[in-house]
Amino acid sequence: MGQFGPNGPGCFGQAQIGGTTTEVDNVKPGSRLASTTAAFALLLAVGCGGGTTNATVNGGSGKGTIVVWADQSQSGQDKATQAEVAAFNASQTDVKAVLKFIPDADLDKTNQATSPKELGDVVQVDGPYMQAWIREGKLGPINGLVSAQTIQNQIPSVIAQDTVNGKLYMVAQIDSGLGIYGNKALLGAAGITYPTGLDNVWTADQFTADLAKLAAKNPSGKALDLKLNYQGEWPTYGFLPIVYSAGSTVMTGGKAAGHLDSTQVVAAAKTFASWKPYVDANTDDSAFVKGRVAMSWVGHWVYPAYSKALGSNLVVMPLPDFGNGTKTGQGSIAWGINTSRGNGKAAAKLLDFFANDANVTDYTSGAVDGDGAVPATKTALAESTLYAPSGPLYLFAQQLNKTCGSGPATKDCVAVPRPQTPGYPVISSDFSAAWFNIFNGADPQAELTKAAQLIDTDFQDNGGYQLSG
Amino acid sequence: MSNATINGRRALTLSTRARDRVQVGRLGPSRLRIALSYAVLVPVTILFVSPIIYMFIASFKPNNEVLSGFAVFSPQDLSLNNYLSIFSRFSGPDTGTFTGFLTTSLLVSSVTVVGGLAVNSIAAYALARLRWPGRNLLLLGVIALVIVPFEAIAVPLFYMLDGLRNTYLVQFLPFIASPFSIYLFYSFFAGLPKSLEEAARVDGAGAWRTFFSIMLPNAKPAFATVAILQFMSSWSSFLWPVMVIDDPTVRPLPLAISVYVGTPPYGWGNIMAFGVMMVLPMLVVFLIFQRWFIRSVVASGVKG
Amino acid sequence: MLLRPKTPVASVQQDTGAAVVMVIPAFLGLLAFVAVPFLLAIFLSTQNLHFGSGLGPTWMGLEQYRRLLLDPLFSADFYRALINNATFAVVVVPAQTGLALAIALLLNRSLRGMPIFRTFFFMPVVFPMALVSVIWKLIYAPDDVGMLNTVLKVVSFGHIQPHDFLGDPKTAMAAIIVTSIWSGVGFQMVILLAGLQSISGSLYEAAAIDKAGKWQQFWNITMPGLRNTLVFVVMVTTILSLRLFDQVYIMTRGGPLNATTTVMYQAVTAAFDRGNIGNAAAITVVFFVLVLAIALIQRWFLREEREIA
Repeated sequence: MGQFGPNGPGCFGQAQIGGTTTEVDNVKPGSRLASTTAAFALLLAVGCGGGTTNATVNGGSGKGTIVVWADQSQSGQDKATQAEVAAFNASQTDVKAVLKFIPDADLDKTNQATSPKELGDVVQVDGPYMQAWIREGKLGPINGLVSAQTIQNQIPSVIAQDTVNGKLYMVAQIDSGLGIYGNKALLGAAGITYPTGLDNVWTADQFTADLAKLAAKNPSGKALDLKLNYQGEWPTYGFLPIVYSAGSTVMTGGKAAGHLDSTQVVAAAKTFASWKPYVDANTDDSAFVKGRVAMSWVGHWVYPAYSKALGSNLVVMPLPDFGNGTKTGQGSIAWGINTSRGNGKAAAKLLDFFANDANVTDYTSGAVDGDGAVPATKTALAESTLYAPSGPLYLFAQQLNKTCGSGPATKDCVAVPRPQTPGYPVISSDFSAAWFNIFNGADPQAELTKAAQLIDTDFQDNGGYQLSG
Repeated sequence: MSNATINGRRALTLSTRARDRVQVGRLGPSRLRIALSYAVLVPVTILFVSPIIYMFIASFKPNNEVLSGFAVFSPQDLSLNNYLSIFSRFSGPDTGTFTGFLTTSLLVSSVTVVGGLAVNSIAAYALARLRWPGRNLLLLGVIALVIVPFEAIAVPLFYMLDGLRNTYLVQFLPFIASPFSIYLFYSFFAGLPKSLEEAARVDGAGAWRTFFSIMLPNAKPAFATVAILQFMSSWSSFLWPVMVIDDPTVRPLPLAISVYVGTPPYGWGNIMAFGVMMVLPMLVVFLIFQRWFIRSVVASGVKG
Repeated sequence: MLLRPKTPVASVQQDTGAAVVMVIPAFLGLLAFVAVPFLLAIFLSTQNLHFGSGLGPTWMGLEQYRRLLLDPLFSADFYRALINNATFAVVVVPAQTGLALAIALLLNRSLRGMPIFRTFFFMPVVFPMALVSVIWKLIYAPDDVGMLNTVLKVVSFGHIQPHDFLGDPKTAMAAIIVTSIWSGVGFQMVILLAGLQSISGSLYEAAAIDKAGKWQQFWNITMPGLRNTLVFVVMVTTILSLRLFDQVYIMTRGGPLNATTTVMYQAVTAAFDRGNIGNAAAITVVFFVLVLAIALIQRWFLREEREIA
């Protein structure tokens, strides 16, 4: 599901007022003051459960009812999930899965406000927010619960994104792809030489020059769509790769200062801001489809609509190289297990089911209004026509195959996971605010330095967001 | 005024200009003035209401035609698709159903309003018209609380009420007593002439009797206003339910609209259709109360 | 038969009993669901608490306040928000009230169909602010697709170029102001209309007899008669306008370049985007103190004339 899409911001996980919850359960209205005092006391005392990675609580009997919290985003994916859950229930009688959808834009706030006990057994989480969930005790390691074969079949980028300290926490049906879609006709008319693969990518300067050429040829005066109308997680997903492409990192050694605001990033930001005159505001979300712009910088989820509108005129290209090679994003919604509820074994059966080839293919293929997401299993990926070497989206598969993993972003690797830390929501929030300010004309050095300082202060306040265990 | 004589008696007569004006008052404005008034009022009103017209029309148009300048007003491509898709999108207990959302919202808002009218009006009456120790202190407290925005207390309130997740109770209980409603009632009651109650009090009626027999009948505009405002506030409430509700079967309407707002492709047509459906009940409530409101205001000639 | 009036002492006692009963339900509700949470918020503003953190709150003392008011890293945004809030209130309160008065005067006639006009002007009030914001976001859309741009183009015969109202720091706040006025003017209008209609018609007749012009009638009869109503409307509008949040959240997200950020917007994003409960609580406490001060000052200046209640 989920196409990773612009989720609401920051998933902070819940009030680990797990302890407090039981105190105020079933409190009569009259004794509210008493329960409030209890809440105070508990807050002051140990506070909450969690804070440690969820101990592998007893996985249960492997039978019974499990509750599944799914992200309600695109109607095609919703239907796919509904069908899969129904098929799972029909195929065996040990485990009954009860499905519950939460609208995508509500998901983060709802999750923040739910304690582990009340959360579903199986939950759908956006990759980079996984560590925050782990820290709040809402996700547990799935090694040993999910079958080895399933794990082995997951593509490397997913394993990289969803592993912490050697333990795997989630299993995915999809990974994401990010690139620049192009309108061949418009590109040709402006005489642009565009990349055909990962070997001849644009440099940032070439890209800027080409934008000017395209804008000159287009009556709208614009050349590029950056999905400015998307909110939430999009700016971070879409533009954080530029930081790595410029040769820097977001945080190193627990500090953002000196990295997020390094000279390379500032230079890249300036270049990015210089594109503004050529960028369409895209309020109607159809600048590319209606031909107002020749290029659209966005992820895999628009592929069905774009290919329907442009047909063979559509081309998919890598992002420009800001000095350290072309870099792109990765990571998407995946399925994890809330082991604190004690139904790990039963939940794992559903995960195994979700991750089998039939379902993965179903989910991502056009058959069910799939959204063009990259299948997250080796076998399904191998069979996919979209992602085959001759397929239109092969680039995304290639990029993910060359993931930088959790190591440093070298010149050759392409897909970079977003920073893997429980403090990720703050990074995302502060980065996207700064990035948009820069785009709107603010001084890049000042904005990036400020973002770095805000991030560092927050990390300091929270003890570096250490994950124990 | 001139002192002319009519029939030998001295009489005060009006000057010509004044006479004309009084004549105007007696017979009503001239036809020209009526026409002018309409000539101004009608276009101004239409212009004012045009965003609402836009919303209604856009709700019947395909998503990609909503943002197309004046073209959206053309009569082509009108369809109920946006509305139908809302029903098909929300079709079962896993997603919640539109009627389920509607029922939840109606239930929660109605209880909030009925409870609120009762609780807030009597408190305001006691503050406005009765004398008792501590009154001024409490009044000050209420006014101070009017300033506290909900966003300020959302998280602490959430910590307090976490045990009541996924119930109807948690959606209406915290909002029945409302500082703003009390203040509205208080201003209204305080502005009523004292003479209204004096007769009853002299006759020995207690505070409750006075409230029901004198205050209540004269306070219809206040009740109507508070009802409308509290209903609206409850109906459109989003931040609170998002924190305390995850179960689709007790989910209120505003949470469901997020499905169209958070994820691309943005269905502007869908959003407008959802908006129309959300606002219709409020319009109905308003239409019911406003006739009551306006009529009783004119009848009683009460100060606001 | 002599009617024995109750002695004042006795009636105060009886009043007290009834008053207490009348006040108790609301009092308990306000205490439990508004006062106590706010006190908890004040407490939390001295803590470092991450929403959902495994650790409990840790004492931070007045650090949150120090940051908010003195540390440029945080305070620059906060002061900008205060300025934006002030600008908004200073423009909206008189403009919306004036407009409401004008419409109320326009509608204060016994022409046929007045109730229909009244209903239309009140309609936007019934729309949730979030929905209003979405509709106006479409109206303000940049390029030719936006309704406002199209209207301006037609009206100016193509001279006025399309403008990105919400994306331009110079016009974003104005755009939000217009939306807010559109949404709220009906509410004030109805209250002012009620106030207008409570002014005795004979006062106007007498003035007409005294050869007083329309303008004189307005200043000497209408305005004084509306005084209490106006004071009420101004005070309530001021307080509500300082809570500006929904429009900003939906239409501009506080931008561009902080042109529309407000205190409540910062409080909510601090709590839910960054998970920083202590920071958010501190913001709301400062907000409360400021608004309380403004309300008290306003009340002192605009003391209402009332019959002694």
